[in-house]
Amino acid sequence: MPGFDFSNHTRNAALHARGVPLPKATSTGTTIVGCIFEGGVVIAADTRATSGPIVADKNCEKLHYIAPQIWCAGAGTAADTEFTTSLISSQLELHSLSTGRKPRVVTCMTMLKQHLFRYQGHIGAYLVVAGVDPTGVGLFTVHAHGSTDKLPYVTMGSGSLAAMSVFETQWKAKMTEEEAVTLASNAIQAGIFNDLGSGSNVDVAIITKDKTTLKRGFVKPNQRSKKQKSYVFKRGTTAVLNEKIITREDISKYVTVHELEGEAAAGEKMDIDA
Amino acid sequence: MEFGTTGMLNEDGIHVDMERLKKGEVNLGTSIMAINFKDGVILGADSRTTTGAYIANRVTDKLTQVHDTIWCCRSGSAADTQAVADIVQYQLGMYGIMNGRQPTTQTAAAMFQELCYENKDRLSAGLIIAGWDERHGGQVYSIPLGGSLHKQPYAIGGSGSTYIYGYCDANWKEGMDEEEAVNFVKGALQEAIKWDGSSGGVIRMVVLTKKGANRHLYLPDTNYAVRHE
Amino acid sequence: MTSIGTGYDLTNSVFSPDGRNFQVEYAVKAVENGGTSIGIRCKDGVVLAVEKVITSKLLKPGANKRIATIDRHMGVVSSGLVPDGRHFVSRARDEAASWRQVYKTPITTKDLASRMGGYLQAYTLYSSVRPFGITAIVAGWDSEVELPVDGEVGSGPSIGSGGKVEGKKFGGPALYMIEPSGLYWGYYGAATGKGRQSAKAELEKLDLASGNLSLQDGVKEAAKIIYIAHADNKDKEFELEMTWISNLDGPTKGRHEEVPKDILEEAERLAKKELEGDEDEEETKEEDKPADGDKMEE
Repeated sequence: MPGFDFSNHTRNAALHARGVPLPKATSTGTTIVGCIFEGGVVIAADTRATSGPIVADKNCEKLHYIAPQIWCAGAGTAADTEFTTSLISSQLELHSLSTGRKPRVVTCMTMLKQHLFRYQGHIGAYLVVAGVDPTGVGLFTVHAHGSTDKLPYVTMGSGSLAAMSVFETQWKAKMTEEEAVTLASNAIQAGIFNDLGSGSNVDVAIITKDKTTLKRGFVKPNQRSKKQKSYVFKRGTTAVLNEKIITREDISKYVTVHELEGEAAAGEKMDIDA
Repeated sequence: MEFGTTGMLNEDGIHVDMERLKKGEVNLGTSIMAINFKDGVILGADSRTTTGAYIANRVTDKLTQVHDTIWCCRSGSAADTQAVADIVQYQLGMYGIMNGRQPTTQTAAAMFQELCYENKDRLSAGLIIAGWDERHGGQVYSIPLGGSLHKQPYAIGGSGSTYIYGYCDANWKEGMDEEEAVNFVKGALQEAIKWDGSSGGVIRMVVLTKKGANRHLYLPDTNYAVRHE
Repeated sequence: MTSIGTGYDLTNSVFSPDGRNFQVEYAVKAVENGGTSIGIRCKDGVVLAVEKVITSKLLKPGANKRIATIDRHMGVVSSGLVPDGRHFVSRARDEAASWRQVYKTPITTKDLASRMGGYLQAYTLYSSVRPFGITAIVAGWDSEVELPVDGEVGSGPSIGSGGKVEGKKFGGPALYMIEPSGLYWGYYGAATGKGRQSAKAELEKLDLASGNLSLQDGVKEAAKIIYIAHADNKDKEFELEMTWISNLDGPTKGRHEEVPKDILEEAERLAKKELEGDEDEEETKEEDKPADGDKMEE
């Protein structure tokens, strides 16, 4: 039977009640931002993915494609941001094809909010939606429970407070593209350096009427430098205490060993370091 | 997700859980109001949206248009109230098309109430509906948490409203002119913002009369004295 | 009947080459055989009346009502196949109830006519159904005062809501007639059934458009018209059934009710008296009429 299997639910609930922790989803403890400028919009994100206290990925992508001129920055549960954005991306492309019009940012935002509201916050996707469409520039935030906000500059994720402090002190109306990109990048770096959940590099996507530019690794403030010392041990550092050689005959007591011949032998040959 | 014991009936058997915002949900800890005056109605609201202690949006627009001259003030969960307002906006649009005449404020109030009452155990939405039409003039309806419907001369709502019951009762007059009415709303919301930590930011208003909808904006920079926009 | 034998009249939803739907036209024939029904829109109310032809001496007088209540403020009468009329009533009641459930306010007569018009039209579209063999007259009084939303508590300002547009009138009497094709129009006076020709001639004499006829006089006129319409069908016994809806200040306070026995009997007495007075005039009048004067097309 297709569909979900709930047969382990009662067992899991009982285990959880006795103190067994639930498995942790990979969460993008994150800093994401968006900011509009004259003629376009920029979104930016850090690249750290975490699983509890562990950095699960040092250089993950948090800027998601929706349409050529609409992009999303995602915070929250990594799997949920990934699948929600790709689902909406598909639906929006089909919608665009059937209407013969370019997709709009508000349409994308509405589809996201209705999808997330239906799941009552169980889909942990926190998104910044940005883009340019025939009606102009759009920038929104969408929270996991389905609420949305429309603002000239936005931040989300665990590093949103650090990032917002940058916007609240340095943002001004009618910025140029360059100014906005620098400001967004600075806001992400505030997250990278001041928030434990955020780190590594800054990714940036710039969307204008004419083109979208994705700048992966726009800033890399956490490059690993060359180690000052070599930690390779010299041969013979470890003393040999005893030595025993096992022959093929010994092994054949436990398993059957066949020599392969002809074509089969050649086909099975394994290339190492090819 | 924390489940706790919410949703269960108390010993009195009639308990409605007021604190049922889900963890991390965006909350409109709010001050909202709508009043009747000589030429129609005025809606007013602060602009603070919070997630716990963090202000997620300091310039929120809690006054939402659902038809030409029918608007609502939203308080409670941002997601729930936006979803409900979106549904009613769609239904009112369809009403206008299918019946060849504009819906009245009553129609809107009935639609809001149906959604809020039938889904009372899933929603945290406190709404005030206000609208103007030729036949009924300006009207104010309040729909609090349980989904009941109250027709009122004026209505206040949200966490900040508790601080201004006295102010409103003392200063309320029937049949105020527009200037008086705007000052009444502004004065009440200033007090609500002053005393309620969950309310703040700018004061937004919408004046609904036979001339249509007219927006007001007052900023804290000038102590809400100057009208912007 | 040039249509017979062509096959185009055998199935519903099929057009003949010259653009007619014969099944609908046959349904109209069924209506033309039914007892006469009329409705009069007066200045302070609406009245409905029907000529009930007595098909058996064993039927109890006064039982077997033909005018039905759709909602508190609305009634309907029909000519044609009685069971089709019953189904029409049932559907109209469902529509009125569902409107109340959704919008928490009574349906207006116009909206009900629109919904029922749509319903009847759908019965001309499919081969699996036949059109309704009735023409229905819907009468209603749409409240002239503000109505509360069902279930609301409290009231607005004690001095009334601010910003109303003065001098505009809302609500009032309404009368609609719906035909088997689904076509419906609003009328000052409406008549259908066997005696519709003479009934319409009488209605036109009343100058209903000027809005001077009172409901009390309307009841008397309605009784008279049914009696006149019956004159062509004298060999059969009939019973007069009448209902009315007045404004809030009137006798029914906006509700659809039967006309009380004493008023009905007085109206019948006057009708009979008038009929005896100009018995011979009647014949000549009938001949003046164009034969096809009642046909309305669009």
